[in-house]
Amino acid sequence: MALTIFEEGTTTVLHLEGRFDAHAAPQLTDWLKSHITAPAHIIINMAKVNFIDSTALAALITGLKRCRQLDGDLYLCNLPDTVRVIFELTRFNKAFLIFLNETDARTAFETY
Amino acid sequence: MRLAIVTTYPPGSGSLNEYAYHIIQAFRHKPEINEIILLVDQLPAGEAYPTTEPAGGAPIRIIPCWRFNALDNAARIVAAVRRVRPDIVLFNIQFASFGRGKIPGALGLMAPALTQAAGFPTVALLHNIMETVDLKQAGFASHPLVERIIRTFGTLLTRVLLRADLVALTIPRYVEILADKYRAQNVLLAPHGAFDDVPEPSFDLPDGPLQIMAFGKFGTYKRVETMIEAFKLLATPDRPPLELVIAGTDSPNAAGYLESMRQQYADVANIRFTGYVAESDVPRIFGEAAVVVFPYTSTTGSSGVLHQAGSFGRAVVLPRLGDLADLVEEEGYSGEYFIPDDPSSFADAIARVIDHPERRYDIGMRNYQAARGLPITEVADWYILHFQELLKSKRQLAQKPATAPR
Repeated sequence: MALTIFEEGTTTVLHLEGRFDAHAAPQLTDWLKSHITAPAHIIINMAKVNFIDSTALAALITGLKRCRQLDGDLYLCNLPDTVRVIFELTRFNKAFLIFLNETDARTAFETY
Repeated sequence: MRLAIVTTYPPGSGSLNEYAYHIIQAFRHKPEINEIILLVDQLPAGEAYPTTEPAGGAPIRIIPCWRFNALDNAARIVAAVRRVRPDIVLFNIQFASFGRGKIPGALGLMAPALTQAAGFPTVALLHNIMETVDLKQAGFASHPLVERIIRTFGTLLTRVLLRADLVALTIPRYVEILADKYRAQNVLLAPHGAFDDVPEPSFDLPDGPLQIMAFGKFGTYKRVETMIEAFKLLATPDRPPLELVIAGTDSPNAAGYLESMRQQYADVANIRFTGYVAESDVPRIFGEAAVVVFPYTSTTGSSGVLHQAGSFGRAVVLPRLGDLADLVEEEGYSGEYFIPDDPSSFADAIARVIDHPERRYDIGMRNYQAARGLPITEVADWYILHFQELLKSKRQLAQKPATAPR
């Protein structure tokens, strides 16, 4: 999985690409552990993720918890259908704020 | 958050007691959980629940309040919940949790609906669903008519269970069945979780030839001919010495198959037929293999051998048969693939692993991570997130101004 990071003001946008699975999840977890500071405004753009498994979901949950502990949040955007289905199956579409695109997610943080 | 869990618990011997132990230990160490109240079944005379817990983590209070096979379990559980007033009630149950008999079993399953109706946010973790239970095997239905009646009641009972705020299921198909058949909007997938952290295997190989290993019962859909032809292609002077290990026995439906193969390929050096592999030798057999190969001619799905190979961090070589590759990848495993019945394709796939130690390590590590599964401590985080969302939605609902009367 490729992870590209963009800093935009107080918001950090992460673009994930490829298989987001048990093999790739530690990459995101390690980044989140070492880089999040308050207020943690993180957007994860999943447009190019073609697969997600339970370990990857667990990494996102850990990230969400950490962001909320640090007076922020972790937003998701651009979920492809294959990924969206998993969020619906696990009902995490109710727990995460999921946006259609990055602009909407950024706007949401501007009014956070 | 004060969490009440309706469950069996060791030393109680009811089903799901081991699962309860592990997930409760995981919950204890989450900062969001302040107290855990276990609403458990009463133990037989002379047995007692532990009065102390391992150090650290949230305190546990154990309240035996229901009895297996009793008819009034639902009422007893609701009364206990009213007394302890938790923030959330979690049921760790399956269809026969409350009784062996149909009536006590069914009546007990009313409890989640009743605690929800009593105003306590309720989550039911349901380990099986009626639609997939083999009633005959389970000893519940000896006659087709009885089975039909039970299934009808099962459908009604499932509707009652779905009155819980959330129903968690451990298998995606269960979620789909309940969502489709009952149009349930409150069902969700939560993985079972792995109890123990499987230690990372060694990726080092023993001295001596690189071992290419096939494991199983051979002669029906697991056949070694193409694999041996591939091995002959691989055994070239420019490559380190190789050994083909055929680990296992004949399939019961193919007696004499491996002996006939041994004779047919007697002239091929470095083939070892291990015969029966005792359970205690399985780690060594897998641990010594540079690659585990699957000489299958057909398949009905993923494979237990693949899970074993993953547990031991081994790279695998698989046939490109039907949707096997998709199934393997969906489960998080990885491998190199060959065209069935094509020795040259088989040899190329093996070479891509044994000639490239980094590739061998990458596939092995990926397979180990897939086999290890999601630790139960992470599954506990999934539940906590759902609990938080449930509490938030209940709070929002409570704050909503009532509609003004016309």
